[in-house]
Amino acid sequence: MKSQEEILAHVREVLLELFEIDPARVQRETHLYQDLEIDSIDAVDLIDRIRRYTGKKVSGEDFRSVRTVGELVTVIERLGAQ
Amino acid sequence: MQARHDFFIWRWFGTGLSFALFGLFGIVLGAIAWPLSRLFLIPVALRRRLGRRLVQASFRSFIGIMRSLGVLSYEFIGRERLGRPGQLIIANHPSLIDVVFLVGFTPAAGCVVKAALWRNPFTAGIVRSAGYIRNWPTDEMIEGASEALRAGQAVVMFPEGTRTTPGAELQFHRGAASVAVRAATVLTPVLITVNPTTLTKGLPWYRIPPRRPHFRLEVGADIEFQGFCAEHSLPMAGRALNAALLEHYRRELARAP
Repeated sequence: MKSQEEILAHVREVLLELFEIDPARVQRETHLYQDLEIDSIDAVDLIDRIRRYTGKKVSGEDFRSVRTVGELVTVIERLGAQ
Repeated sequence: MQARHDFFIWRWFGTGLSFALFGLFGIVLGAIAWPLSRLFLIPVALRRRLGRRLVQASFRSFIGIMRSLGVLSYEFIGRERLGRPGQLIIANHPSLIDVVFLVGFTPAAGCVVKAALWRNPFTAGIVRSAGYIRNWPTDEMIEGASEALRAGQAVVMFPEGTRTTPGAELQFHRGAASVAVRAATVLTPVLITVNPTTLTKGLPWYRIPPRRPHFRLEVGADIEFQGFCAEHSLPMAGRALNAALLEHYRRELARAP
């Protein structure tokens, strides 16, 4: 099982690769939409990567309430733990 | 007040009649075709093909009726290039009936339409029996449209998301570009111009234009988008393609007759 730190590092990697976002801008309190301009269309690709990362069948439903990077990390952790 | 031409009163009745026919067709289709197809347990793909054929034929008839009534005139240039397997067809969206033209002239096309039409009694039968794709939630729309393209269907999308706001600068949602880079085999733009404008956003059907409107639909050359995918990740390729599409349409609309 992965720690929150490891998951955050992975999220930074993915955001860099998918959206060319500088990892330094990605903190727990960073807003995905307001600060990083990741919208519902980008979320499709992001969730695709999370699916591969966790190896679980995750759906858009699981992420509807996610607003910040920290919340995203928590959801991934919970999915991975199931 | 502008002078009224082209048998104004007649066009007004003709427009009303066209709307009434469309509504009646929608209700009948909703009441009969859809429950029947369920009853006989026809496989989904066959049901969708039959549904689309029926919707296409009806839309073609509507256009024919509206033209015969003198409600509108039209030209459709290059329509033989619509309906190829895995083809994403995009168009600007100046009027309410753009989709009637595009679906009417594209064999067996899927279409991304407003989710609200599934609950509208006049349109629920049409969108359900034709197996169209809801535009909401976004992730399901992207996945649904991509699957349809991968399965070899042609899909119609309006990147503006809703009808053009007259006078405002053209804006595109990234959904269409995003679907294109994911799953399209070919991407084909259609340029629609309506002169004088009619059935624009926020205008009721009975406010008909002073002259008979002429619809011009022109199928453009396929847009090369594979280069974007080679250079970027999917979301960045979608962004770059969307910017290119918007520029294409702004340029084409500026030079449109």
